[in-house]
Amino acid sequence: MLPRLRSWLRAIFRRPRVDRELDSELQFHIELHADDLVLRGIPRDQALRQARLALGGAERAKEECRDAVGVSFIESVAQDIRFGLRMLRKNPGFTAVAVLTLALGIGANGAIFSVVNSVLLHPLAYKDPGRLVTVLRYGNYPISVANYLDYRNQNGSFEQLGAAEYWSPNLTGVDSPEHLLGLHVTQNTLPLLGIQPALGRLFVEGEDTAGNDGEVILSYGLWQRRFSGDASVLGKTLQLDGRSYAIIGVMPADFHFAPFWATHAELWAPISFGARAQNRDGNSLRLFARLKQNVSLAQARAEMATITGRLEKLYPGTNKGIVVLPLKEKVVGNVETPLLVLLGAVGFVLLIACANVAHMLLARAAARQKEIAVRTALGARRSRVVRQVLTENLLLAGMGGAFGLLLAYAGARALVALSPADIPRVESISIDTGVILFLLAITALTSIAFGVVPAMQTSAVNLTDTLKESGRGASDGVRRNRLRSFLVGSEVALALTLLIAAGLMIRSFYALESVDPGFRPHGVLTMIVPVAGSKEADTAHRAIFYQQMLERVRALPGVESAAGINHIPLTGDMWDRTFLIEGRPKPAPSDTPDAVYRIATPGYFQTMGISLIQGRDIAATDDATATPVVVINERLAQRYWSSGSPLGQHMAIDPGDSGGPLIWTTIVGIVKDSKQRGWTSAPDPEMYLAAFQTKEFLGGASTAAASYITLVVRAAGDPAALTSSVKSAIWSLDSDLPISSVITMDEAVAQANAQPRFEMLLLAVFAVVALVLAAVGIYGVMSYSVARRTHEIGIRVSLGASRADVLRLIMRQGLVLAVAGSAAGLVAALLLARLMTKLLYGVPPTDPVTFVCVAGLLILVALVACYVPARRAMRVDPVTAMRCE
Amino acid sequence: MDKQLDLLQGTLDMLILKAVSLGPLHGYGVLLRIQQISRDRLEIQQGSLYPALYRLEHQGWIASEWGESENKRKAKYYRLTAAGKRRLQTESDRWNQMADVIAGILSARPEEV
Repeated sequence: MLPRLRSWLRAIFRRPRVDRELDSELQFHIELHADDLVLRGIPRDQALRQARLALGGAERAKEECRDAVGVSFIESVAQDIRFGLRMLRKNPGFTAVAVLTLALGIGANGAIFSVVNSVLLHPLAYKDPGRLVTVLRYGNYPISVANYLDYRNQNGSFEQLGAAEYWSPNLTGVDSPEHLLGLHVTQNTLPLLGIQPALGRLFVEGEDTAGNDGEVILSYGLWQRRFSGDASVLGKTLQLDGRSYAIIGVMPADFHFAPFWATHAELWAPISFGARAQNRDGNSLRLFARLKQNVSLAQARAEMATITGRLEKLYPGTNKGIVVLPLKEKVVGNVETPLLVLLGAVGFVLLIACANVAHMLLARAAARQKEIAVRTALGARRSRVVRQVLTENLLLAGMGGAFGLLLAYAGARALVALSPADIPRVESISIDTGVILFLLAITALTSIAFGVVPAMQTSAVNLTDTLKESGRGASDGVRRNRLRSFLVGSEVALALTLLIAAGLMIRSFYALESVDPGFRPHGVLTMIVPVAGSKEADTAHRAIFYQQMLERVRALPGVESAAGINHIPLTGDMWDRTFLIEGRPKPAPSDTPDAVYRIATPGYFQTMGISLIQGRDIAATDDATATPVVVINERLAQRYWSSGSPLGQHMAIDPGDSGGPLIWTTIVGIVKDSKQRGWTSAPDPEMYLAAFQTKEFLGGASTAAASYITLVVRAAGDPAALTSSVKSAIWSLDSDLPISSVITMDEAVAQANAQPRFEMLLLAVFAVVALVLAAVGIYGVMSYSVARRTHEIGIRVSLGASRADVLRLIMRQGLVLAVAGSAAGLVAALLLARLMTKLLYGVPPTDPVTFVCVAGLLILVALVACYVPARRAMRVDPVTAMRCE
Repeated sequence: MDKQLDLLQGTLDMLILKAVSLGPLHGYGVLLRIQQISRDRLEIQQGSLYPALYRLEHQGWIASEWGESENKRKAKYYRLTAAGKRRLQTESDRWNQMADVIAGILSARPEEV
């Protein structure tokens, strides 16, 4: 080992000396050999020549000697890199275009992969997240308290079954009151996630019972924001909705709960059910559980089915559609398809980039034939030439990858900034080790994808032919041409597929934009005015305060109208209440009709722009002293009054958590359906009660419904510009009110469509990049082809071909490529668009308009890309063309 | 083609070791000595001689030092090392065994099978 090491080190570090020695050794050999030959009677100069020939090329012998020591590999790699860099520097245009193309492809992949990495691959930052499940009604809706308690007591599949309920308390008793988003959780909910608090402790057994529930755990963000990260915060108290809570813990910075709803919750307090433990109707709990180690999802589902089946028999109409879902599926279910589609799209972009660089290299390989031939003639072996070319490719890919990393970094930040709020774990998106490894891997793969074939072609040089020819061959080999055409054709196909995907998304987005939501969002400003805990909280003051607030806002300049409601469409909550219709037999509990429960002040329909179809609006005269009235929407009217008018009929509405008798109301109006749940969902039946007749809304009950009003303002001009004057008007009545959720309805609509818009935007960007790359590819190939065929064109022209003939010749060549590529792309798109069905709205995945328009556009672009080189061909002067060879 | 070259190469290494075992030699001397011992029946590709010498030196089987040649020129002389001696022994044993076996096979007559 030792002599070997010594000889290595010598060869590496004393290279010049070793070379010198080798030189003189070989020289000595040649001279001795020549001496011998001279003795045999050969003249000295001939003898020297023979001796040299006998030894073979001196350079080659030297290189083989270095090979023998085994260091030449390292050395020649360094040499290859130096030489490669020199070649790349010598062609700055080529290098810049190739590196930029690769950087685009690699960067786009890195950016999307960074999202996939944190959203799909690591969606849940909890301990052993694979065993976490959520239990929901129909996979989406909350569950009642009594049912939750039954599940918890009866099941044996879960280590823990916890429950969380939406909680949006007002923080008061501080300088700047604030409306916060939090969750009420059962004691076991946070522990089952397996995350330790950064400070303090989690809730312990018994802390979710009445009287022991005055404790709160803060998020890291809230702790930083309100307490500047002060560690002595433990034990301090917060005034939340007028009640004191002791701070017992702070969660770590990257902790988020719940993962798929209320994702921005900033504080968690224990839930104590009290009398609600018997409630089987009010559905407000979302359940979270950890499966026991030896229990499978299927077993847990089977057990839940048994339990709910049993409970349904006991309490008809309840426990239907209870679903146990893996938490991960629930969290990423909505974004999985779009993200995979986007990942596929950037994959296509990268492939197109590779194809582009590949035929740039092919063109260069042709230009370098002579250089390679000279090197081969000087004794370079083929493997050595291939290695040299591969090194250059790797350098290109490496530079592309480095710029790609920068692009990926910028891209990931842009994605986070642009992404819709409901993408889970968006805050954790970053370029981490996983992403960097991914980038390295695709960089390496890329260099192989674009480099190997050109490298093989470069090195496969026929020595004599190449050296003999004057440089530009009369025409290229058929195989090389075919390869280049294949590359362009695939580029066109890939670009077309992407363009069709983007086209479908754009069409789908326009379909979304043209949906009639049933209200006029433009010009409407809304904000939540929470009154819980304030001096307006009690019944005596509430109605007066609301009246005064509306009057002051209406009096502001630029305000057309103003009204209040419990929940606005799209961004607001949706509560269901059951009702009975007078004069009809009482239905079975499971068939009791229900509808979305709205509580509106007079003027709401006009302000929101919901048209009244029949009857009248809620009027100022519908006050506490008048008979209660209700306005219903068309959907409700059609469902329960298929014949005859509902106007004047009576409905008895369930009082909900506030208790008390049924609320008997008279139907006085019917309004148009409006989009409530979401932009694309079918309208739900709705009933609007009169605010000043609804005790619950006026503080008559301690339910969440009673804690705030949503103010709706229609502006003459820009609604957002009214924000501060409206706020001041409210604060002129009570400066302690923590006004929150200020949003224009235009923004609410944009939010509802944020995900499709985001997907459309990204796909469109990738498609445009693909289109540009494909156009550059076609342009490159056609330019190259025209350059190679100058001679041929010269002959054609001199034989009488007109300029139009030449133009046709070149355009036909380009058109054939574009059409063939498009045909392949159409087939691929037909297959792939199926995967997009879930993302599309109002457009079939095989939408012929999109397919035809996009294919037409692509062929047009291809023709334009051909036209420039074709014009060049047209101008070929036969005399020059033939002479310059 | 390649395989034949490999085989030759292995043989060449052994022949070089043998040649320098008889006394230190420079490269051309190695060539001459092999030709001389083989009575010119074996021609060595000169191009492969030096890579072989470098390889053997790298393996530590021969060592080199610069000296003066018979005609007063600076020359690099190779000599066998202790490890090279052992190597030569095993190589020639193996070669002899192999030659015996192959000779046995080639001289086989039908009645012996």
